[in-house]
Amino acid sequence: MTDLETSHPVSTISPSTAGKRAGFTHSRRVQKWTGGIFWYISLIVISAAVILPFFWMLATSLKNPQEVFTYPPTWIPKVFHFENYIEAWHAAPFARYFTNSFLVAGAVTFGQLVSCCLAAFAFARMNFKGKGLMFTIFLSTTMISTQVTLVPSYLIIEKLDWIDSYQGLIVPFIANAFGVFMIRQAFMGIPDELEDAARIDGCGRLRFLVQIILPLTKPVLAAQGLFAFMGNWNSYLWPLIVTNKQEMRTLQIGLRYFVSQEGSTEWGVYMAAAVVVTIPVIIIYFLVQKSFVEGMATTGLKG
Amino acid sequence: MIRRIASLHVVINIFLISIVALGLFGCGGGTPESEEPETSGSGSVDADGHVTIEFWYSLGGDSGKVVEELVKRFNESQSEITVNGTYQGNYGAIMAKVWGAISAGSTPNVAQLGAAPLLGETGTIAAVSDYMGGESGIDASQIKDVFWQYNTAKGTIWTMPFNNSVPVMYYNKDLFAAAGLDPEKPPKTWDEVIEYGKQLTKDTDGNGEIDQWAFNTNDDTHWFLSAMFLENNAKIVDEAETEVLYNSPEAVEMLTLWSDMITTHKIMPVNQHSEARGDFLAGKLAMLVGSSSGILSTERDATFKVGVAVIPTVAGKEPVAPVGGASLVIFKHEQEVIQNASWEFVKYMASEESALYVAMNTGYLPIYNSARENPDFIKYMEEHPNLNATVLSLDYAYSIPEFSALGTSDTELRKAVQTVELGQASPQDALNAAKMAVDKFIKEQPQTQP
Repeated sequence: MTDLETSHPVSTISPSTAGKRAGFTHSRRVQKWTGGIFWYISLIVISAAVILPFFWMLATSLKNPQEVFTYPPTWIPKVFHFENYIEAWHAAPFARYFTNSFLVAGAVTFGQLVSCCLAAFAFARMNFKGKGLMFTIFLSTTMISTQVTLVPSYLIIEKLDWIDSYQGLIVPFIANAFGVFMIRQAFMGIPDELEDAARIDGCGRLRFLVQIILPLTKPVLAAQGLFAFMGNWNSYLWPLIVTNKQEMRTLQIGLRYFVSQEGSTEWGVYMAAAVVVTIPVIIIYFLVQKSFVEGMATTGLKG
Repeated sequence: MIRRIASLHVVINIFLISIVALGLFGCGGGTPESEEPETSGSGSVDADGHVTIEFWYSLGGDSGKVVEELVKRFNESQSEITVNGTYQGNYGAIMAKVWGAISAGSTPNVAQLGAAPLLGETGTIAAVSDYMGGESGIDASQIKDVFWQYNTAKGTIWTMPFNNSVPVMYYNKDLFAAAGLDPEKPPKTWDEVIEYGKQLTKDTDGNGEIDQWAFNTNDDTHWFLSAMFLENNAKIVDEAETEVLYNSPEAVEMLTLWSDMITTHKIMPVNQHSEARGDFLAGKLAMLVGSSSGILSTERDATFKVGVAVIPTVAGKEPVAPVGGASLVIFKHEQEVIQNASWEFVKYMASEESALYVAMNTGYLPIYNSARENPDFIKYMEEHPNLNATVLSLDYAYSIPEFSALGTSDTELRKAVQTVELGQASPQDALNAAKMAVDKFIKEQPQTQP
């Protein structure tokens, strides 16, 4: 900023550019504005596209059966049928399903974080024979589809007498190869000097992991935790197969109850139930959002 | 196998799981010649002789409530047996569970599912025909024959009829009136469908694209195509159940007719079967071929006058309404008292009273011959005149033989319809390919006991 430019405040400063450097000429200001507008519009369009299904779900949850299929479709229901929510809640023991889903998803998340951190630490910061091979084998398990392992897994659970039990729902999912991979990347970013310094001060490996590495890699852990929770919350086929009793079932099975074989599904009530089932995940997402975005952006880039 | 599955994806998954389960079952436990029958792990008898049995069913929503009500009534009507009924997902899901349970030896005592008679080959179910004669039996002649046939595989009646349906044709009476057609005179033959269709396919907003279609079917296209085959005297499978026969000229004629509706007469949209019901309810489709079990809910969800007709047929020939739906299965149990309790429950669920309750609270067919004279049922029909088409269809009901490759066959027929609709193959080639695939599957089946 030269003295020449600051001596002409009237022509260069206007309310819309308050706070911007007074050195901008008119055309540069317009360029910056249109650039900004372009991004904002793109973001609005993309956000709308993503939110649309959720909005439709919410709108449908308040409609009566006839309004669900009218054409052209109505985005705001003519009459708000809140009783859909009451009917949905009473259609199946959702309170119990909620408890089960929370318990199981929570335990799986915790278990995955613990096991993935330990494994990732070993792969990232320790040296042992066959490390490379073992890691490759870990990764290759992600390529096996669940359908193939479904029956053998079911047989194992059955022989252990874990049908209709929490263990049967939780234990098979405590290990996650993809989680190990992600967290290993984060752990590899911690400088060796830090570990040496800690070692010199008498810090053992486990303590180093828990007290130093974990706090530094919170974002990645938050991301992995969210994936684990969401994945398990949405899990349908496995809980269906290993539970026979109503009391042990999870929310996703409860949701399926509304879908009718003959196409007579009451969509309004079904959507109301779906809204209720989605809310906890949305809440948890907002809680870890800051960490999550940070984790996605900085994985492997720590320096 | 399963007649009316919502998506091909589910079918393929279930198919894969069944293959794996079959493999495990074949390699693991009993060969058909072994002495020990695989029995159910469920069910218990307590000290007073009170029996508790596990019942798995696959009807959700309103139909599920009907099943639960019947279970409740059974439990309340007597004090020797208690039934625990649990919903196990739709037909695809419950089949996967049952196969898993058979491998693990932990089947329930009674189950309600589709393609049930095929479980006879596993040696894990007790044939209903064993129980029908005895003192605690039922009079088989009271239930319409075609339903017994639907539950027969390789000559044995394995399972008990419970909830059955037939294809019917829904139509939008308002759209008919608007096109100058008589809403009380739906088309009876496929030629009439095409004739009416030409007046019902419209480009209502003049933008060059058709927004109102005349005709479409739900996505269990194999069911409706089979109906057309049978109407034209084309057989599905041969007597010995060793090969399928639908690459015959009569069958090809029907698939060609199907394809012509799209390309030549332009009354049906291409490959839009999953959206068909939605389109119909939105008033954008005039005629929809679908299951009779959806009649009540369609009336509830529509904003226009709904009509229901018997499925159209080939000119000069009678309609054929192939039966679909599910049945009740009794799993063997070591303890006779538990197996007998399972039979008592099944007997109750298939009794005249229960069957009427099912027919009057869902869209499923009345399976008893006497239903038509029952005063309550007659009154019910007067309140829901659209159900007349279902009852009329009973006269044309037919049971496609439950051969072991039925599931594969259904899938192959659906594939054939899709390739023809998309213009990827001619009807003859598509049906030849389907036949090859199914015949191969039949040949590769392990030789099980007759």
